[in-house]
Amino acid sequence: MTAKANSPVTAGSIVVPLGHVIGNEKWRGSELAQRLQGKVRLIFEDGLGLVDFHLPNRTCILLISEADLVAGDEFKRRLVKFRNASSLRGIVVIEKTPISDQYYLGVQKLVVLELGMVMLPVANQGEASQLIIQLVREQSRDRGSNPFVGGQRARAAEPAVLQALQRIPGVGRTKALLLLQRFGSIHRLCNADSRELEQAVGSTVAQQIYTFLHS
Amino acid sequence: SAQGNVPSERSPSLCILADSREMCSGPEVLSCLRAGHGLRVQVCSLGSSDYIVSNRLAVDRVLQSELQSPGNRNKLSQRLQRLQGIFERICVIVETDRVRPGETSRCFQRTQHYDGVLSALVQAGIRILFSSCQEQTAALLKELALLEHRKDAAIQVPTEPEGHGRDLLNFYLSIPNLSYGAALNLCHSFGSITAVANSSVPALAAGARLSRPQAEELHRFLRHEFDLQLLPQPLPAKGKATAPRS
Repeated sequence: MTAKANSPVTAGSIVVPLGHVIGNEKWRGSELAQRLQGKVRLIFEDGLGLVDFHLPNRTCILLISEADLVAGDEFKRRLVKFRNASSLRGIVVIEKTPISDQYYLGVQKLVVLELGMVMLPVANQGEASQLIIQLVREQSRDRGSNPFVGGQRARAAEPAVLQALQRIPGVGRTKALLLLQRFGSIHRLCNADSRELEQAVGSTVAQQIYTFLHS
Repeated sequence: SAQGNVPSERSPSLCILADSREMCSGPEVLSCLRAGHGLRVQVCSLGSSDYIVSNRLAVDRVLQSELQSPGNRNKLSQRLQRLQGIFERICVIVETDRVRPGETSRCFQRTQHYDGVLSALVQAGIRILFSSCQEQTAALLKELALLEHRKDAAIQVPTEPEGHGRDLLNFYLSIPNLSYGAALNLCHSFGSITAVANSSVPALAAGARLSRPQAEELHRFLRHEFDLQLLPQPLPAKGKATAPRS
């Protein structure tokens, strides 16, 4: 256990059951912990290193308080250390207040753009608890129910193919349909010679189409 | 390398595509990008996203108030789902609502719905950035463009084709799930539509700067065998048969 206590992140092997949160001992008795209790199953553990809360699905929360931001760059070293040491998905929850606001853009650039982590602002510990509750709920949900995960619906390509052909100057819906019924695909239309095109749509338009597809 | 004013960061002319609606909804973003940061901003009808920052990254600008109530959720989720079919990476910039003249700054009452949306965005792998005004949004877009440029994903082809090029662009833009940037790349990298149609999947991926699955989708589309039976009847509008709109 002593070896563990010295490493930046120790709970890499902790599997957090759905609906549960494992909290760093230092948060015991805090306003944040009190607000979480009853909403999620909160268990405290010693020696979580840099991590404040472990969530299900190998996700964890690192809290940056207003005081951390004002105190200087120590928290940045913590974040970089976490990022280098851990394969967990880190979500930085940061206290953005009128006092700490001036640091926000700089920290966001470091955390999101350079370290590639998630960072979400809250105004205080109360908001942090609300956010963590929702994050835990989302982690416990089936990925298929996420409104932002694309359900790749297979859609018929027919309307789009027809649309594409109508972008050829001189070709409207009727001629596009004639061409498709004769050639079947854009690929085959492209490889038709002038005479084949003429048989479908007449010589003037055929020439136009041929030129359009080959230049 | 993260410091500003490194000479090499100034030399490339970074390019961002902006949707034409942003001229109304984000005029300061556009002018800051151009005048403040010296970016090339091409305004065009993107439709799918507010900004295209690189060959693989689309950015949507969302007002904080839009995430507060469930009213907008469907619109946002449809939009982002669609973007996921087109781009490898998606970023949402959550911008604080502007206080209109005469209005006192409204206190932001964070709702459970707001936290739920943020959690779902995180879980969906969509990058979230926060901005307190249009000027900051412009600065974030510039940062993203710079980062993408370093990763060799920047848009580096002419963004305003003319004449026949314009017609070709319109043709490519009608292809499903093909981004505006990829359409521009097709115009630039291939001699003709026939050259595109006869290209292999790897050649399409390289020429249009597409991922392998996207290039496969394009390849499939160009060779798709048209079936008249699968064409929806043009009238009446689908699903509205019993309630015709005027």
